[in-house]
Amino acid sequence: MAEQQIQTQSQSAEHTMARPQRWAQPFGSNMTDQDVDRLLSDSQLKDIDGEKFPKHIPLGGILKNDTRLVKFTPGEIVVREGDYGNSAFLVLNGKLRVVLSPSLPRDAIGRSKEYTRSIFEAFSQLWTSNWLPETRDTSKYSLDELMAGGSNESARVVLQDIPTILDKHNTGAIETGALFGELAALGRIPRTATIFADEDAELLEIRWQGLRELRAYNSEWKRMIDERYRETALAAHLLESEEFGHLDDDQIKDVADRCIFETYGSFDWYTSFQRLRSQGKSDEPVIARQGDYPDGLLMVRAGFARQTVKHGNGIKTINYLGAGNNFGLHPLYSAWKNPGASEDLALGSGLSALGYVDVVRVPASVLAEYVFPNIETPVNTIEVASQKTIAEDALLEWAVDERFINGRQTMVIDLNSCVRCDDCVRACANGHDGNPRFRRHGKIVDNWMVANACMHCADPVCMIGCPTGAIHRSMSGGMVVINDDTCIGCGTCANSCPYENISLVQIADKQGMPVVDEATHRPIMKATKCDLCSDQLGGPACVRACPHDALKRVDFREFAH
Amino acid sequence: MTKNISILSIFGVIALIVVGYNAQKMDLNLQNSSVLTGYTLIAVMLCVALLNTRKKLSMIPLGKASSWVVFHVVGGLLCVALFWVHTNTFWPKGLYEGFLAGAFYLVSLSGIFGYLIQRLNSRKLTETGIEVIYERIPLELREIQEKAEEYIRECTEATGSDVLANHYLNTMVWYFQKPRFYWSTLFGAGNAKVWFRSEGASVKRYLSSEELEYFRHLEELVELKMLVDTHFVHQNLNKKWLLLHVPLSVGLVIMALWHLLLVEVYAL
Repeated sequence: MAEQQIQTQSQSAEHTMARPQRWAQPFGSNMTDQDVDRLLSDSQLKDIDGEKFPKHIPLGGILKNDTRLVKFTPGEIVVREGDYGNSAFLVLNGKLRVVLSPSLPRDAIGRSKEYTRSIFEAFSQLWTSNWLPETRDTSKYSLDELMAGGSNESARVVLQDIPTILDKHNTGAIETGALFGELAALGRIPRTATIFADEDAELLEIRWQGLRELRAYNSEWKRMIDERYRETALAAHLLESEEFGHLDDDQIKDVADRCIFETYGSFDWYTSFQRLRSQGKSDEPVIARQGDYPDGLLMVRAGFARQTVKHGNGIKTINYLGAGNNFGLHPLYSAWKNPGASEDLALGSGLSALGYVDVVRVPASVLAEYVFPNIETPVNTIEVASQKTIAEDALLEWAVDERFINGRQTMVIDLNSCVRCDDCVRACANGHDGNPRFRRHGKIVDNWMVANACMHCADPVCMIGCPTGAIHRSMSGGMVVINDDTCIGCGTCANSCPYENISLVQIADKQGMPVVDEATHRPIMKATKCDLCSDQLGGPACVRACPHDALKRVDFREFAH
Repeated sequence: MTKNISILSIFGVIALIVVGYNAQKMDLNLQNSSVLTGYTLIAVMLCVALLNTRKKLSMIPLGKASSWVVFHVVGGLLCVALFWVHTNTFWPKGLYEGFLAGAFYLVSLSGIFGYLIQRLNSRKLTETGIEVIYERIPLELREIQEKAEEYIRECTEATGSDVLANHYLNTMVWYFQKPRFYWSTLFGAGNAKVWFRSEGASVKRYLSSEELEYFRHLEELVELKMLVDTHFVHQNLNKKWLLLHVPLSVGLVIMALWHLLLVEVYAL
């Protein structure tokens, strides 16, 4: 009897709710079974073999939960250049137009602002913050109008004066059946162009989780996505580069046709990195070996690569290359400039992939035709790097080893100035309902500590595998944020983060009662991390709160140098 | 930060010269310059005291806390100079004024002391090579003690000898129980090392080679505890001086406002 009473009491001290599942929050709230049937008979999708999809991720389920139908009227912007999006679009009918160059001005595309508290709302946190940890208004989890990343229909912008735009900007048509946006969705990079509706159009918007499943279980979609991904990336990358930026369309096409597009490392590099790091090993795929003769310029399109030279019994990192950097230009230029020279023209340094790297290999013949006649002698990076001592390069070596070079807003603390007052932690908690979103703890080199706070990485691997798209790039600023409403607490992001900067917390209702699954009575968890105070006034509170300027948010690429 | 303090100090000196010049002018005109210097002093004091409020309002964009600290430091030093200009003496007459001056000097000195020790302690903490969050120090010490006792148990089981176990119980457990040698650690005197060499390691001559292996593990734990103790001592001081400075500051402001009220009601 007493036991029963205790059990009843303990049960009454809990708040129960159904454990959120992957498709608990569909991408589009208005997708019906009829819509799915219509899509399955559409010419773009009817050839997909539904049998090849696993039972727990059926094709119908993907279409119903990971896609949504969106309609656009002429002038409405579908995607904006520079925005971070987590979805791709398939044109079901109608015609769109992509702005190639020059880009549309910011005000014309109505870049939307994300929610920021008013001064009163900010101030009211003094008395509205809950004294209990990790409390949530659980009623919000039942709302069915929640957005799961991707573009927000309510924030649509209509372009004015389209004829003028067509006059002043170079545009291209996107017809029925075209797929676009997959580059940004899969590559976790900003949209490269603005696309707007030229006439009434109906699109199927596929969040990246759905795109990933279609790619995984349908070979034709995989081929199409990969091919388009590579082609689009190559053309865009060449045009953006210093070496090829001056070429016209025909020349670019010629260069693109002769280039080789290569990928090193795996898309989900963090898993092998975590495993190998725990074993004290390193496994970096070699892109170019020191001592080999170069056959082309290597241009890094995405990811990071380590440039090394042999030093004693080890290898020394002299530089790391990110998107936009290239490798091997100097020896190739020397060979072209002095064809009969006797000097050793082999590569003086090696290049290896740090995780996932997209590389464009431009053959030497292309360089001789389009690049070398137009440039001065390029900088010999090895000569520059050799002027530095080992001690001077120690921070860089460490940052590369720990993959901190991925960080764009890394929290570094100068321990020589930090008085360990924890004002930064308190300020963070003050802006997050009493819950700090980072730990003043982390790896240390010299007097610098890299604290366990989200670094808002260039390559946010935490976003890979999120089943609901709850973790996403914010539309403005590119911060990596978690939508608490759609997070199902599966822990995928926390496990993926190589830096242990995402925490799973058990939530409680406003009265402090732990929220548990109504079926299993296991706690409901939510992923939490630093959001860079994106909804607060004045930017990251931790930086502003540091009384001795010891805490900084830095781009580690610049900091390590 | 030092640069900012230097820049703001120039403005502080200018402000002091302006107030001092006007006070002297008033005195020459047979006016009461104490009103000017007194109101200036209390205004600067109140502004300086706002730092703590700024800390509580971190969710509002009120500028960087480091800028406030710079103002706090320079403003605090300006207050000392203004205090002397206002009182024309080091220690004013009258019982209440004596208490007020005492509180003022205590607040000033504790502030200067706190600022200096914070600057010095940061480097000392960094030099330990480890980083421990203050609130976790009891837990860290407990873990070290548990690890030490685990070695002792293992040693006794593996060697069948209780020499090290008895020595631990009689001598070393005292050291592992909580932070020790507070003042010595604070001043970097190294008494903990001396104690371990003379008393802790005195057992070595009675240990077999197998037991010595366990003792070496114990030595490593002692070294680790010394570092954690260093964190405890310096972080403790970093926080404790505020327990003197902040309540005294509140008291000083209240006493100064009461002084102002009395002056307004009875003296003017």
